[in-house]
Amino acid sequence: MAEISYICKRTVVSTKPVQPGKTHPLSALDRAMDHNRVRIVYYYRTPPGREVGEVTKRLRETISEMLTSFPMVTGRLQRNEEGQWVVKCNDAGVRMVEARAKGSVGEWLKSVDREKELKLVHWEDMFHKIYFWSTFYVQLTEFEEGGLAIGFSCTHLLADPICATMIIKAWADTSLLGEMPNPPLFHSSLPLIRPVNSINHNPYTHLINHYKSSLDNSTPVTNTKYTTIALLFTNPMVQACMEMARTHPEAHGTPIFPSPFEALAGLFWTCISNVKGWREGLINMSICLDMRKVLGLDEGFFGNCMVYNAVRGGDFNRHEISKAAMAIRGVMEKMDSEEIMDLIQWLECDSNRSSVLMGGCEHLICTNLEDVEPYSAKFEEGYAPVRVSYHIEPVSTKGQVLILPAPPEEGPLSRVVMVTLPENEAVKLCKDVRVLSFSPTILMGFNKN
Amino acid sequence: MASLSNSVKLKYIKLGYQYLVNHILTFFLIPILMGFLIKILSLGPDQIYEIGSSLHFDLLQFLGSSLMIIFLATVYFMSKPRSVYLVDYACFKPPASYRVPHATLVKHLRLSNKDNPEIVEFQRRILQRSGLGDETCLAPANLYIPPTPSLEASRAEAELILFSVIDDLLKKTGTKTKDIDILIVNCSIVSPTPSLSAMVINKYKLRSNIKSFNLSGMGCSASLISIDLARELLQVHPNSCAIVVSTEITTPNYYSGNERSMVLINCLFRMGGAAILLSNKKADRSRSKYQLLHLVRTHKGADDKAYRCIHEQEDTQGIQGVSLSKDLMLIAGEALKSNITTIGPLVLPASEQLNFLFTLIGQKILKLKWKPYIPDFKQAFEHFCIHAGGRGVIDELQKKLQLSAKDVEASRMTLHRFGNTSSSSIWYEMNYIESKGRMKKGDRIWQIAFGSGFKCNSAVWKCNRTITTPTDGPWLDCIGRYPVSISQVLDL
Repeated sequence: MAEISYICKRTVVSTKPVQPGKTHPLSALDRAMDHNRVRIVYYYRTPPGREVGEVTKRLRETISEMLTSFPMVTGRLQRNEEGQWVVKCNDAGVRMVEARAKGSVGEWLKSVDREKELKLVHWEDMFHKIYFWSTFYVQLTEFEEGGLAIGFSCTHLLADPICATMIIKAWADTSLLGEMPNPPLFHSSLPLIRPVNSINHNPYTHLINHYKSSLDNSTPVTNTKYTTIALLFTNPMVQACMEMARTHPEAHGTPIFPSPFEALAGLFWTCISNVKGWREGLINMSICLDMRKVLGLDEGFFGNCMVYNAVRGGDFNRHEISKAAMAIRGVMEKMDSEEIMDLIQWLECDSNRSSVLMGGCEHLICTNLEDVEPYSAKFEEGYAPVRVSYHIEPVSTKGQVLILPAPPEEGPLSRVVMVTLPENEAVKLCKDVRVLSFSPTILMGFNKN
Repeated sequence: MASLSNSVKLKYIKLGYQYLVNHILTFFLIPILMGFLIKILSLGPDQIYEIGSSLHFDLLQFLGSSLMIIFLATVYFMSKPRSVYLVDYACFKPPASYRVPHATLVKHLRLSNKDNPEIVEFQRRILQRSGLGDETCLAPANLYIPPTPSLEASRAEAELILFSVIDDLLKKTGTKTKDIDILIVNCSIVSPTPSLSAMVINKYKLRSNIKSFNLSGMGCSASLISIDLARELLQVHPNSCAIVVSTEITTPNYYSGNERSMVLINCLFRMGGAAILLSNKKADRSRSKYQLLHLVRTHKGADDKAYRCIHEQEDTQGIQGVSLSKDLMLIAGEALKSNITTIGPLVLPASEQLNFLFTLIGQKILKLKWKPYIPDFKQAFEHFCIHAGGRGVIDELQKKLQLSAKDVEASRMTLHRFGNTSSSSIWYEMNYIESKGRMKKGDRIWQIAFGSGFKCNSAVWKCNRTITTPTDGPWLDCIGRYPVSISQVLDL
């Protein structure tokens, strides 16, 4: 089918040099995400009549301009005196791979699966000389019959998916407008303004315990073959899901509707537990949420700000989606700025411990990426992405669910859910009655060939 | 206090001596003229008339002497070499996305030289001490992993540099392509078929009777060689103009081997180019920037060591590169001395020449133990453009010619901002001086370039009109930041 041929690999640098001696320190939340990586693919259609290679050339120039505002992206990791990672902003550049694929982007999207998609996102693991390892990789794949795929991968140590999306948006704005409307702000550390009466404050232990347990239970990642399924839930489908997941509290008659995230997360939690063969109750799940608004951070904040929290699934059975959604809501409500700051303080104290490998913990991970706006990244007037896929690696042993926004034309409530599970379980999930009852569109499934 | 007044006295004595010797003719002529005038005025009008009629002006003598005067004047004007004017020049400004910061280069060296970390470390140390900044540029083929130099990539780089620099020059000077009579292109390493000058003729549709030349293999001093060639051609062809284009293509230069003497190319050479418009038309005299006064070429190739000093060869693994010998500084010093010996009498004021003569007599004939006298070239020139071959070359020349830091500022800053752009670096330096607003009418500029062979060429220009800032050129957006202080060893 569509084959990818690699043309070249090179380094791109920013257009203006960085002041020498600049370093970008990493926060406790950043360091907690070591050994993980984020990989994103953006698919675009290109205007007709473009020669293959022209788009790549233009994007190379605009990425250089964009990189001028992100000196930590072109830097390299180093250990400081305390043995912790910092980024030395030494202007080394990011790696760019250029490739060509046969066929058109439309054909590719019809038959893509996880394995093929990951070929569009170049990534190199850290080898011995850390100083020469690039932390960010960009791959530009032009489809010979029209279309472009931009693959962006980075170490989770520096950026979470929301931050990575912001970088790509900045790049798109630079290409489109010739300048960046919102240059990013760089905080030296997460705000740690504690209230006056913090001395008597009992730290909220649930969050800390969750991180502690993942540290202690880090099992190495196995070589199971994982498949990713992407399902598109349009507006009416999500509404139907929210309907199904609503609860009727005993006192009043008005039902409580969960948010789209809670509803879909609840749905998939119950379905995946079913698929994995859990008859009693639900498997343990971690939800991963963006804490930027909770901590009051600017939208230009660069770095990690996503926090994991555990949702216990022992009490209710797999058919009660509403109870699942409520449990998720309960945990989400407890995550306010006080608890996050307690967590950050705890992580700072234990900074010498090995990092949390979220993939090693025995939980299903459900990440809320509803607020990213990848579809606003237009490199050319009138050409918004046709699809955006996110991958967070390494995948947790129990699987991973990402709740993403759908293309804006599908409606404000519509969502794309990307589920990564071992192959046999993924097959079962696609046949699950409850999932099929919403008849979501399968964007990415199994390779039909 | 005593020593201060002594040194002040010495300074005034020196100044007085220089003024006396440099204007010796005036000092002799004025008393004679004064004496003559006084004698004439002391005579009455009748006696003047008497002296006048005693000269017996008859027609034949009158006609004969006028004819003689006219004949001598014609011979003088005919045999005088045609003045060559530099109308204007343009330097290439590489696109910012071609920038090569030090960290990127070191990383690339590491990635393409996985088996030999020592040579990478050696190159990193060279970069730290090189005097280059983080804004120098290389052609994209060098930033590929692994670097992919191909003929097509070299041609693409040549097209980019040559066409942009010639477009710039034609626009600045308002020259039409049909008016170009002579075209000289010099590029040392890349010489495809058809030549780069043919590439230019094809792109700009130049005349079929154009006199075109393509000089390759002549090293970093090739720009002045091309100027010399243009000058000689302009003596033979009246009313013509010539375009000289100097560049060095960096695409094929990447050396991935292990020889220490051959890795300097990676660390120092960068992308650059310049185009110069020369003319011998009288009409261009008023609008041109400079006039060429002297051009002296010295070639030390007869000496074996000088010949092998910069040598392109294959190393023990068969990888081709250019090897620089350890004696480079010494040979450069020798070549410079040769060049100075020729150019000194042409440019130095009489006072300096006398000083030199006296010291020479004292040393050789009277056998006194005097140190050789180094003429003070600052009296002959206002500005110096020393080829930015490397920090070592500039340091060495500064010491040898006893120049101040301000004199070599143009060279050091060009090395920092653009790297060693080979033959075109002297033009970037010239543009730096102009951009700083230091170029005034009547200023004399000395351009010195060294090159493989071993050659030392120098050109002396005189500024024709004061050049006002801001000047258009590659320094336009960054001149405000310069001069920068360059640390001895960068932290990489």
